[in-house]
Amino acid sequence: MSDRTAYIFLLPALVLYVAFVALPIAQVVGYSLFEWDQGIIGDFAGLSNFERMGGDTVFWAALSHNAIWVVLTLAFPLMAGLLLAAILAERNQHVIRWMSAIYFIPRTIPLVVAGIIWGWIYNPIFGLLNYMLESVGLGGWTGAWLAQSETALLSLNVVGAWTFFGFCVVIYLAAIQSIDPSLYEAAEIDGAGWGRKFRDITVPLLKNSTLFLGLYAAIEAMRFFDLVWVTTQGGPGYATEVLTTHIYKTFFLVGDFGYAAALSVVLLAIVLAISSISYFLLRAK
Amino acid sequence: MKTILALATGLTVASTATAETIVTQWDQFAQSGISAAGPAMDELIATCQPSLGGATILRTIAPSIGIRDSYRLAVSAGKTPDLAYTWPAASVLAGYARVGALALLDSYYEQYGWDHVNDFYRGRNSHDGHLYALPMEQDLMGVYYNKALFAEHGVELPTTYAEFQAAAETFKAAGIIPVSFGNRDRWPATNTFSLILGLTAGLEAEQAVLFGDEPWTNPAFKQAAETFQAWANDEYFPRGFNGVGYDEANALFLSGRAAMTITGTWVLQDMIRGAERIDLGVFMLPPIADGVPAGTMWGEGSQWQMSASADQAVKDAAAAYLDCLTSDASRQVWVEKGHTVPIGTTPDELAEWGADPIVQEFFAAGLATPDSNFYDLHTTLPESVTQVLYPELQRLVGGEVTADEFLAAMQASWETAIANGERWIP
Repeated sequence: MSDRTAYIFLLPALVLYVAFVALPIAQVVGYSLFEWDQGIIGDFAGLSNFERMGGDTVFWAALSHNAIWVVLTLAFPLMAGLLLAAILAERNQHVIRWMSAIYFIPRTIPLVVAGIIWGWIYNPIFGLLNYMLESVGLGGWTGAWLAQSETALLSLNVVGAWTFFGFCVVIYLAAIQSIDPSLYEAAEIDGAGWGRKFRDITVPLLKNSTLFLGLYAAIEAMRFFDLVWVTTQGGPGYATEVLTTHIYKTFFLVGDFGYAAALSVVLLAIVLAISSISYFLLRAK
Repeated sequence: MKTILALATGLTVASTATAETIVTQWDQFAQSGISAAGPAMDELIATCQPSLGGATILRTIAPSIGIRDSYRLAVSAGKTPDLAYTWPAASVLAGYARVGALALLDSYYEQYGWDHVNDFYRGRNSHDGHLYALPMEQDLMGVYYNKALFAEHGVELPTTYAEFQAAAETFKAAGIIPVSFGNRDRWPATNTFSLILGLTAGLEAEQAVLFGDEPWTNPAFKQAAETFQAWANDEYFPRGFNGVGYDEANALFLSGRAAMTITGTWVLQDMIRGAERIDLGVFMLPPIADGVPAGTMWGEGSQWQMSASADQAVKDAAAAYLDCLTSDASRQVWVEKGHTVPIGTTPDELAEWGADPIVQEFFAAGLATPDSNFYDLHTTLPESVTQVLYPELQRLVGGEVTADEFLAAMQASWETAIANGERWIP
């Protein structure tokens, strides 16, 4: 195929990309440089909308919550997924098929629905979690999980982990099954136990998968919105505020389009930075 | 009389409106929930449309919570409907008027004599001395209570704040939730706090802050904030109330597990329909601070506003239509089929039209104090302040901040809003 023909085939996709990705992004960047009043564009504001972020305590709280979310996601679903995948990989194909499908089910549930389900589980009056704790004699551990600043973000992260760990299991499982079995056989001959094989063979050889999942989780942690909105709307207070909910409130509820656009540009920059790191790290392998 | 005038006006409209005149309308009248006046809206369009000289009403229903967001986007895009029944009035309405998105209604008020809208409501629907909307729904705040639980525990209806506190303590001691309250949705606390504030500071003190130079950090406001926090600390509310939804709190009350719930007339229909297992009653919360007169929080549920960019013929047809919607005959339809009480409706009319006894009781009590009724904060403050009020109230009742810290945060937000020209003054 000639270069000319190739470019003709590429052109429609490029036009769509420019129309629906590049231009809207440029538009948001443009919006962030102006003052707005009730959705009506006003005077050129330069970088003043960006300067406001320095003194916006809600912005910094939201950013820190996104960062905590990234760390918690890397700590729990990835580790749980890795461990479960390593255990599952040694079972027969029937068990692997069924268990990986079961683990993957939460991933197929939309976050809005997951939020509603877990909202009921966490409900302080008639929630399942408190009921179960009381049933097993742990009534002292019951709490208003999403209503207390100390537990709200962590409780929401459990929901996020619930929807994500199955995905980690499937990715890790596929990667483990592609490891040459002779490596494990050689280790067994040398007397290595399950833990040693896991630590010295499985974990190092899954570095690429771990990198992919980690960066994917980090990007998702910056973008998520629906789970927070249907459960806490960022509350109580600002305890579960994240960048996307702050942007939504600033744009739709306050109507401060300029500042919301500036916040969106910062969020976009963070996600693009993570994506770039991910791209270069994965290509370097 | 007003119906006859409306029909006569229809003849006037006929001279300008034609069969091609279409009035696009956004409203929030669904078949159930907070704004369950859909059947009344359907009937009134059928009733009013023939008198519009051939003009047609093209209706779109939007959710009551989402309609304000949709309207904001429409203003931004210059695509507002000719007529919208949306909320809130006061600061937000004034903002739209300020940027020229809304049509002036002064001449229509004069032409149709919409005198049922009193000065309080006219002020809330004005900007810079001109009227920009016609408020319709009458919202009042009160205390729904379970008569059987009150009787069972020997509690009389509270006529003083001390009696209210004693009633709450009695129920708490009996293992019954005194006041069902859920604030996961963030806005319910603003209504409760607005009520406490009005009964602690009074209308004049509120106006000194909202329209004058008095700061939020004044002693009366501090007492109100401390009172609200004390209710939470004293366990008047269910456990984990910041994680309980508004509907769940209402359900908790209707299930008989709570003695009272403090909310507004906007859920009267749901309350009446859901009160199969309880004997429902209503009373007004007594004044909290000494010397403050009895009263309640009132406001328009929503208001009709017209697009500035609509053609003159469309505006004229829309105004005639609004006059028909708010006529005496139409108000009866709103009450009977919409379970909505329009502004200007008297307790006598409610009795005459056979409204549910709870509706009559609520409005008789709430409309008895027109001179001391006060503001609902979250439909009065600029949105930028409301978005601080919501989380800060969650923190206040959650015990995360003191009354002083809460008021300092409000004052800071208030000063920023004033500096940005967002404050509404009637």
